Amino acid sequence: MKHPVSDEAQEQLDRWSARAQRLFTELLEDAGSDLQRELLQRAVAAAHTPGEVHAFADEIRGLSDEELYEACTLEDSAPEDYTVAQLLRAEADPLFAFELKGGTIEPNEDETRELAPTPEPKVKPTFDLPAHDALAHGLSGKKKAGFEAESADARAKAMDWGALGSAPPPPSQSHVSPAPSSGRLLEDLLAEATRGLSVAWREHDVDTQGGMSLADAIASAAGALARGLPVPCAIGPAPGQHRRFVLMLQTNTSGKTRAWQLYDPLTQELVWTNEGDLLAKAELPFANKVNRRLTRIVLPQSLKAAF
Amino acid sequence: MATARAQPSAPFASRELNGEVLLEELGDLRNAQVQQRHLNDCVLNLRGLEGVRVSEAAARLKQLASNRFAGQPALASLLVRWAAKLKSEVDVPLLVSHLERLALVSALVTALRRGSERLPKGGRG
Repeated sequence: MKHPVSDEAQEQLDRWSARAQRLFTELLEDAGSDLQRELLQRAVAAAHTPGEVHAFADEIRGLSDEELYEACTLEDSAPEDYTVAQLLRAEADPLFAFELKGGTIEPNEDETRELAPTPEPKVKPTFDLPAHDALAHGLSGKKKAGFEAESADARAKAMDWGALGSAPPPPSQSHVSPAPSSGRLLEDLLAEATRGLSVAWREHDVDTQGGMSLADAIASAAGALARGLPVPCAIGPAPGQHRRFVLMLQTNTSGKTRAWQLYDPLTQELVWTNEGDLLAKAELPFANKVNRRLTRIVLPQSLKAAF
Repeated sequence: MATARAQPSAPFASRELNGEVLLEELGDLRNAQVQQRHLNDCVLNLRGLEGVRVSEAAARLKQLASNRFAGQPALASLLVRWAAKLKSEVDVPLLVSHLERLALVSALVTALRRGSERLPKGGRG
């Protein structure tokens, strides 16, 4: 059965490859209700990629109309701190609303590339400031938090979700294994993973030409941690030699000494190290002593702008 | 005369609140198959909790556990346990911050594990 498609959705579909268009037809046929079909069309009209639309269809297929309405609309449960721009965009873009309410999709980017149409740039409807501007704007007037994790002042300041929430989620990007050609290792994966939390990230090599100095990296990371944002980083034997990813979880200051807590998700080692040791680049307290220094840091973009 | 600053109660003053404690909770939630979207949802629902009185914050946490997350017993149980530990006004923002970090660390750990495949020796070098 041929399902009618709105003009707005058709305009986007015309830019898709023939295979992607056939896939979308199948998604409409597989959809469990007219409401699902309507929301899929709106997601297409909002210029989401074929991969995103496919992942969205998979997520909503099992939902009843009541559950779907609840998952993709903000009106009934919109707290006061949703911005007008978010409400407007959510109305036009059910996938945006779905993610804003905590839903997650995992688009297959291999599929997205395969189904990708012409290289013509895709234009999404914009209702907000660009992410960087909005994030920077939202945080620009904020007081710089202290560094003492144990002090009530520093720890009581939870992450500024209100400010971050005013920005559109970072665009969907790849979560497949090959590293992007730009040499970025984590940005796309982190953006994908934290899209529902509206946090964007920027990678910086440490102590390489054009990168950040270790001291700057540590100062920026301390600021992020003070605001409640853990900081991913890479460690290795020398600058540019990334061997493992670890997460900076928190800092703890005692007198003039600041300690950093690091977590290796693969080995599940959780260690404390003094800032002096971190800066000395001589050794880290993980079992593998070869990786003795920070080689790359991934900072929350908003905080990078604010600092 | 300087006024005494309110001190967080013991569980919130622990150095390991956002370290060992957080990772143990995360492990429990993962074992119980609690998905990232539920953690994100939890964070969104905690907005506005800062600044409210202890009794109201505890009541709202319990309400959240019994309504929104009734289908996620591990998450509901976590919220109820923390609600019972709230003793002082300064505990509330510390708890909100803790639960925000929990959601973020969960997402970041997943991403780092995936990203490790891009490193030499699968990130085990």
